[in-house]
Amino acid sequence: MTDRADPSARAAAPAPEDRAGRLPGGLRRAASWHVLAPPLVFFAILLVVSVANPAYLGPFGVSIATASAAPILLVALGQAMVLNIGSIDLSNAAIALFGTILFALTIPATGLAAIVIVLAVVTLIGAFNGAVLAYTQVPSFALTLGTFGILQTASLVLSGSETIYVSENRELVTALYATRAFGIPLTFWIGVAAAIAYWTMLRFTVAGQNMTAVGKNESGAIFSAVPIRRVKIAVFALSGFTSGLAVLAIVAQAGSASASGLGSALLLPGIAAALVGGTSISGGQANPINVIFGALTVAFVPIAAQALGFGAQAQSLVYGFFIIVVVTLTTTRARGIVIK
Amino acid sequence: MTDVPPVLKLTEISRTFGKIKAVDSVSLEIRKGEVIGLTGENGAGKTTLLKILSGIERPDEGRMEINGQVANFRRPTDALKAGIGIVHQEQSLFTNLTVAENIEHQNIDRSGLGRFGIQNWGRINRSAQEVLDKIGVRLDPRARVGDLSFVDRQMVEIARAVSVDPDMAGTPLVILDEPTAVLEQAEVDVLEREIRKLREFASVIFVSHRLDEVLRICDRVLVMRHGALTSDRSTEGVTKDELFRAMVDETPRLSKRDRAAPPQPGPAAIAVSGLTREGKYRDVSFSVRPGEIVALVGTNGSGRGSLARTLFGAETSDSGTIEVAGTRVGGWTIPRAVAAGLAYVPAERKVEGMIGGYPGTRNIALAHPEAARSGPFLRHAKMARIAQDWFDRLGVSPNDIRQPLGQFSGGNQQKVVLAKWLNNPDLKVLILDHPLRGLDVGVSQAVNREIRAACDTGTAVVLIPDTIEEALEMADEILVLKDGEVTARHDMRTADGLAVQEIVAEMI
Repeated sequence: MTDRADPSARAAAPAPEDRAGRLPGGLRRAASWHVLAPPLVFFAILLVVSVANPAYLGPFGVSIATASAAPILLVALGQAMVLNIGSIDLSNAAIALFGTILFALTIPATGLAAIVIVLAVVTLIGAFNGAVLAYTQVPSFALTLGTFGILQTASLVLSGSETIYVSENRELVTALYATRAFGIPLTFWIGVAAAIAYWTMLRFTVAGQNMTAVGKNESGAIFSAVPIRRVKIAVFALSGFTSGLAVLAIVAQAGSASASGLGSALLLPGIAAALVGGTSISGGQANPINVIFGALTVAFVPIAAQALGFGAQAQSLVYGFFIIVVVTLTTTRARGIVIK
Repeated sequence: MTDVPPVLKLTEISRTFGKIKAVDSVSLEIRKGEVIGLTGENGAGKTTLLKILSGIERPDEGRMEINGQVANFRRPTDALKAGIGIVHQEQSLFTNLTVAENIEHQNIDRSGLGRFGIQNWGRINRSAQEVLDKIGVRLDPRARVGDLSFVDRQMVEIARAVSVDPDMAGTPLVILDEPTAVLEQAEVDVLEREIRKLREFASVIFVSHRLDEVLRICDRVLVMRHGALTSDRSTEGVTKDELFRAMVDETPRLSKRDRAAPPQPGPAAIAVSGLTREGKYRDVSFSVRPGEIVALVGTNGSGRGSLARTLFGAETSDSGTIEVAGTRVGGWTIPRAVAAGLAYVPAERKVEGMIGGYPGTRNIALAHPEAARSGPFLRHAKMARIAQDWFDRLGVSPNDIRQPLGQFSGGNQQKVVLAKWLNNPDLKVLILDHPLRGLDVGVSQAVNREIRAACDTGTAVVLIPDTIEEALEMADEILVLKDGEVTARHDMRTADGLAVQEIVAEMI
């Protein structure tokens, strides 16, 4: 015991063929339930609908479903990144709403530059959230609830409580919606691209590793020299930026913006999509790729309810039950019994 | 008089955790109105014994009798009902409730203080007032506990401990677990007065490291060592020296240290001067040269943990300076400290030392990702290679770098925590807070070996050891802290035959 442990440790280390034999173990980890559940759930619904009412699944059906999923997906991606660090962003849908009005007001005069302006403004609003959180340690729930209220009023004031129709340079933005690849509008593909980018970031970058570390154990991250404040500001800025992408999807689809129009009710579907996508609400667990399926599922449930013959009044009921069941199925319980 | 049964009688009580006998065949008797001192080194088994008395742990063997009746506690409320009240070192009050609610909350269901969930505030306040009067404390039962001073809160804890079943025939037993560790002198005086009043109707066990207090307050003093009771005698005529000898092993005078590497020349790796944090430590100065190990010894309240955290940028100081490699630092934060080559192995391993949900690869890469990054990206293959090297070198078991670290045993977790910091070729200062806490002998040796290996390559080590023996084994210099002040320094390279007892005497 007094000499170095290396010889015994080496002897205990598995021989190469043992290590090869353990590969299935690695695969098993990758293929665990919380990774597979979100796509499985989505395809299960798809299967049920295609059996019950095949008419809903034509090319037109796919197009409608993905188009309505696009803004939810984008908002949900930002939310998943925030949930991943153990916070929540209740203001992200309000940021998107504010962005749509700003976008509709600026695009006639500035054209494509409006996209840059809007993305910069909403990213800054997100960064502001993050900075207040990092420096005052106000709970993110309370802080972003406040930002949510402020931005709703700002949207009303900025729009003069009226619907702003994009007339000049309209085609610049509606092209995002009108252009399809595989029958799916570009707005949805933007979401897919963002999901892949965020997934790559979480998995393969130092910044992503730091983010998840903060979500899994903030004290541990602090004592491992993770720059907590920078992480929080960056993640909330990212949430703002992703809401900015949702702005493009919304205005492209509606051709207009208003404080009560498309985009005013994105907060809860966005959270639902993140959770259905397997994101842990207590932090440290997020898979942006699966959030795609979460958003598709959330967007698809009303369609499925209709296809299965539920009346319009029953749709909220179906939706409510469904979310509970799906989150029960997709939530990972690896963290133990304490779930916030 | 003699046919009154003892308040507490233990017969050969034992409790074993794995291979360690935490409490080893302890027998004792406490009579009505006695104040008993219980003392011993950290890890001597005091805490486990208290847990058995308060129903948190169950003994493996032995018999416990309370007021003449055999007691078989299954849960903490059983102990409360039997009249054993424990005042914990870290307080367990509801700070947002009133004094009365805190005192009576455990009785509300049983003593007609409330009915159908509706509480009778008048009776609760009156009943609490009676308890407060009984122990002679002047406090408003309606005051919010959060607004009280620390010592007043302790009074509330004592009141709560004696409030159970006031008309019970037996005598209540109040256990005070290191109540004075965080008190100022004036508050200690108040507490001592309270204990003298308590003895009129209760028996008291007073747990403390401070022998002066034990000798002043108590009638009898019990000493524990390695789980066993090594001394049980009247405080009359006993000397501190006799108690020291019962507390620590009859260690052979210190043998020649096996690490002979001389400290390297140049400026100190870390030096502090006049460092003060109000309420924690005062005017601390010392320096650690590359390749040197300085141990900070002292009791829990000595301020050494806070001092270590200040060095690492995790706590601030009120005055004084810290110099790292000859340069005075300001605005010291953890990221800056780590960038300057400092490392900190915290005592709270699971909470502060690691990310339990992350596997070994990511835990090791977290503090110093530069070893495995290119631009913003992490190189997973490199991370895996680094982690595998450390797992092999330290003999981490199971040898699986992808398993979440939270699923490993404490000793193997500690190896990975150490690897996280040692995986830095520019490691300058290694700060270790209880690095061997909860580790068995084999893992302890592995950890100590790595600490020495780091020293041999020029790392300065600041060590907070679990035991004095650990300090004697590892350190080049020992600093003794008492109540936040350095009371002694021993240069182990010149001191010959320094004994554990001498250091204990300086600590207490």
